[in-house]
Amino acid sequence: MKLLTCPLNGQRNISEFTYGGEYHQMPDHQQASSREWAEHVFFHDNNAGIVTEWWCHSASSYWFLAQRNTISDQILRTFPADEIFNQRVDFAPAAEVSSDATPATKGESR
Amino acid sequence: MNPSTLPTSALRRSQLYRRHTKLGADFVTLGDSVVVSHYNSMGDEKIQSQQLGLADLSTLPRIGFKGAGTPDWALSLGIELPAAPNRALVQADGTLVARLSQHELLLASGLDSRSQCIDHATARVTQAPLAKSVYSLPRSDSHSWLILCGSQAPATLAKVCGVDLRPHKFANGEIAQTSIAKINGVIVRHDQGERLSYSIFSDSSSVEFLWDSLLDAMAEFNGTAIGIKALGE
Repeated sequence: MKLLTCPLNGQRNISEFTYGGEYHQMPDHQQASSREWAEHVFFHDNNAGIVTEWWCHSASSYWFLAQRNTISDQILRTFPADEIFNQRVDFAPAAEVSSDATPATKGESR
Repeated sequence: MNPSTLPTSALRRSQLYRRHTKLGADFVTLGDSVVVSHYNSMGDEKIQSQQLGLADLSTLPRIGFKGAGTPDWALSLGIELPAAPNRALVQADGTLVARLSQHELLLASGLDSRSQCIDHATARVTQAPLAKSVYSLPRSDSHSWLILCGSQAPATLAKVCGVDLRPHKFANGEIAQTSIAKINGVIVRHDQGERLSYSIFSDSSSVEFLWDSLLDAMAEFNGTAIGIKALGE
């Protein structure tokens, strides 16, 4: 059985964990274009080498980050997410909405 | 004790009550809960509890809280917090307080179903908002509560769980959040006097499977189900 070290619960069987995808730094939400958002949300780099990934310890629903070498499948380091996410991001409402994005009003045919 | 107490007579019943009835259980009312007092089909449950016994306490009160404001809020209620995550502490009123992470607590009542801590905390849940960054978790609804006790409990758990829970490796008051018989759960060691005891909190929707799996694993060591009467001091 492969082992993974959870920053909260310690070393556990890999079967207790769920992979959560690559970690990417979030784009500046005030400036990012739709293209940048789509890349952030949907696209993966799939690099060969050392990558940072999200993992979840299922028994405690604890999400954390791991640095893994995708060539050797060696876990180099696991650490709590608050090492990176240490500041609250308040999402202000969009300043303006373009006219073609205005939703149809109630009862109006589309 | 009223021997004619029905498992369905209280608002909340255990997901396992049909299994208890099949085993010849007598039920007893404790506060708002109905729990198994003892099983007529078993021998001396007091002795059994020293060797290997499994009890269902799912109907006893418990509640959870999480969020960055939880530790300070709990302190303001007079709850003494375990110093670190994955540690548990029994309060003066008998309440078991398990710290599941830096910002998450699970509160379970004493075996007599009473808990001032839970009563105070529950009374505040109806206030909206509860407190800044404090969110309540309905642990009575989401989780079942089993107690596996006796000297053979570590050997039984070794068959179904990957974490080393032997007494010299897993001290009284320690918590393991892990997989038990493929079911995710929280194991808290909290001995009652001399008796080695592990509380297991797991998803209530799969507790019938966990109950059967544990009894199956216990059979090798002559373990049986026991009622709450055997757990008393």
